[in-house]
Amino acid sequence: MTICKPLSGQNTRWLSGVLLSGWVCCVCANPFNPDISLILDGIYKTENTALSEYESGFGLGHTELSMRGAVDDQFYGSLSAVLESHAGATEVELEEVYINTIGLPAGLDIRAGRFLSQIGYLNSHHTHSDLFTERPAVYRALLGAHYFDDGVRMNVLLPTPFYWRMGVEAFNGRLLTGGESTDDIGVYTLNSRWGGDFLGSNSWQLGVSWLKNRLDPVEEAEDHDDGEDGHDHDGHAHSHDAAYSGENMFIADAVWKWAPHGNAQLGQLILAGEYFYVDDLNEYATDDDFNEGWYASVVYRFNPRWSAGVRYGNVELKEVHGDHFHDQQLEEGNVMLAWSPSHFSTVRLQYTNQQGKGFDELNDAITLQYVMSLGAHGAHEF
Amino acid sequence: MNFKAMPVLLFFISWLGVAPAAANVEVLACEPEWAALAQALGGDKVKAESATTAFQDPHHIEARPSLIVKARRADMLFCTGAELEVGWLPLLLQKSTNAKIQPDQPGYFLAAEQVDLIEKPVSVDRSQGDVHADGNPHVHWDPYRLLTIAVAFRDRLQVIDPENDDYYQRRYEAFASRWSDAITGWEARAASLQGVKVFVHHKNWSYLLDWLKVEAVGDLEPKPGIPPTGAHLSRLLNTYKHSAPMMTLIANYQDDKGALWLRDRAGIPVVSLPFTVGGSETSTDLFTLYDDVLTQLLAVP
Repeated sequence: MTICKPLSGQNTRWLSGVLLSGWVCCVCANPFNPDISLILDGIYKTENTALSEYESGFGLGHTELSMRGAVDDQFYGSLSAVLESHAGATEVELEEVYINTIGLPAGLDIRAGRFLSQIGYLNSHHTHSDLFTERPAVYRALLGAHYFDDGVRMNVLLPTPFYWRMGVEAFNGRLLTGGESTDDIGVYTLNSRWGGDFLGSNSWQLGVSWLKNRLDPVEEAEDHDDGEDGHDHDGHAHSHDAAYSGENMFIADAVWKWAPHGNAQLGQLILAGEYFYVDDLNEYATDDDFNEGWYASVVYRFNPRWSAGVRYGNVELKEVHGDHFHDQQLEEGNVMLAWSPSHFSTVRLQYTNQQGKGFDELNDAITLQYVMSLGAHGAHEF
Repeated sequence: MNFKAMPVLLFFISWLGVAPAAANVEVLACEPEWAALAQALGGDKVKAESATTAFQDPHHIEARPSLIVKARRADMLFCTGAELEVGWLPLLLQKSTNAKIQPDQPGYFLAAEQVDLIEKPVSVDRSQGDVHADGNPHVHWDPYRLLTIAVAFRDRLQVIDPENDDYYQRRYEAFASRWSDAITGWEARAASLQGVKVFVHHKNWSYLLDWLKVEAVGDLEPKPGIPPTGAHLSRLLNTYKHSAPMMTLIANYQDDKGALWLRDRAGIPVVSLPFTVGGSETSTDLFTLYDDVLTQLLAVP
C-alpha cells in the first residue's frame, strides 16, 4: 500500500543519484532505506568574539550527517554525526543517536539514547536551522551553545483543546559541564510547553523548564578568551561543555510567529525570547551569586528569498575562582541579513556588537555564513 | 531511578485517563480539498478538518503546536502524499503520539497513492528545483482521479468504521452520481478552452489543464519552487513575443508579482484562481470550486 513512508522516505534517491550513482538501482528498489541528509556549513568571521564557538578567519561550522527512519511500527531511530574542525584536528561527535517510540497510548512518547535536551526554545533545534550565525550568548555560556547528553525522556501530550506537553528527562550529565558525579543520573529536567494559533495568521508557544544539575560544580574557570571554548575533561581538544554551572537552572521561553494568512511561504515574522536563571553555583555561593541572562530576537522574512533580523541579549555571570567569583557581563547585539534561493540553502551576513566586562575579547565582528542541506527534506519545526 | 522522581511520575500518570471520547470518525486532512471530500463521503458520521487553508502553501507548513493537537485526536489522516507534505507531516506524525494515523495504519490515507501521477521526473536532482520524485501531487484538479480517490476513501472509511458501511456506500453513490453529472456539464462548458495556450506560475494546474486540453507553454517559476526572476520572465516574453498566451494562471495564495509584471509588459491577463476549497467566497465545496474556476477561465476575453 504505502511506498513512500514519511519516516523512511524516498529522498535517499536524490543523494544516491548524485553521490552514489552506482547504488541507484538498489536504493530505488528499496524505498525503506533511512532518510539521509548532509548539512554543509561554512563561516568567515572578521574578529574573535567573547564566548564564541568560532575563531576569526575562515572556518567550518557544524557539518552534519544524519540518518533517520522507522525501525518498525513501534520505533524510529535517528543519528546525527557532527564533524568539526578545531585547530587542525577533525573531530566526529555523535550529537544525536536515539530511538523513539511511535504512537504509545495516552499521548506518551519515550526517547532513549543521546539527544538534545528539550529545555528552552532553541536547545532542541539543530543549529543549522538557526536564524543567526551563533546561538545567543546566554546559550553559549550556560549550555555550551546546545546541550545534548545520554539519557532518557518521557513526554506526555495532554488531551487538552490547546497544545500542552509535559516532559521529564534524565541524563548522565557528563556532557553538560564536564563535571564528575557520583550518581548515574547527573541531570534531570522538567519541561512544560503550551501553544496554539489565533486569528488564523498567528501562532504562539510558551515554555518553562527546570534543569537540576547534580554534578560537581565547575571549580576553576578556564581561559575563555583564547579563541576557543572550554577544554574537555576527557582529553579531547574541544568540547561543548558549558563554562558556568549551577545546581538549578530555570528557563522561560516565548515564541510568536505571524505570516500573511498563515502562509509562511510568502513571508513570516518571528519573535522569540528566553530568560535563564541559574543559582546554587557552588558551596561558596551566597544568595547574591547567580547567573542570569536573556535574549530577544525579531526576524522578518519579507519575501520568499530574503530575511532580516535583529537580536539583543545580555548575560551576567559569576566566573568561579576557587572560593570566590569574578563578575562577568556580556551584552551582545546582532543584525543579520539572509538570502535563501531555495529552502535548502542560506547565505547569511551578520554584524555582532559586544560590550561588557570581565572578557578579553569583546569585539565587533562581521560574519558571513552559508548553510546548505543535501538529501532528505528537512523538517519544518516550529 | 530513585524515589525523588516518583511524584513526577504519579503526576503524569494522573493525566492518562482523561482523553475525551470522539462521537464519530475525526479526519484530519492536510489540505481543504480532502477535508471537503471526506465530509462529502462521511456525512454526519465524519468530522473533517483541514490542517491548512486555501491561502497556505502546503509545502511550507510548520509542525506547529495547534496542528499537533489536531493530529493527536484524529482517527484518520487524509493527505495528498507524493512528498507534498514531506517538510512537516513526518514530524507532525511523530509529535502527535497517535498510533492510529501512522504510516501503514488504516488511518493513514494518501490521495496520491490511489492514482497514477503525471510529470514523474526521469531523475531527481535539486538543481532542477523542488521537484517531487513521485510526480505532480496536485491530483484534485482531475475530476476522474478525484472519483477514484473517493472510491478508495469510501473503502477506507468502511474499514475504520465498519458499523456504518452501508451509510458510507450510500453517501458514495450519491456523491459519484452528482460528480459524474457535474463532469459532463463542466466538459460541455469548457469545450471552448481546448487548445488555448497559457502561462502558469507553478506546475500546480497540470491536471486541470490536461483535463481541459489547455496547453501550458511556460512556467513563471524558473524551476519548481524557485520564485520567478526578472531574467526568466524576460526570456518567457521574448520566446512568445508573437504568440502571447491567452492568460497567466496563478493560485491566489501565490505571489502575483511575476504575473503582474507580464501583464504590464505584454498585456497578458492574470487569472488568480482559488486553488482549493475555501479559496474564494463561492468555493465552499468541490463542486463550487470547479464551477468557480471554470467561470473565471471562461470570463477571460
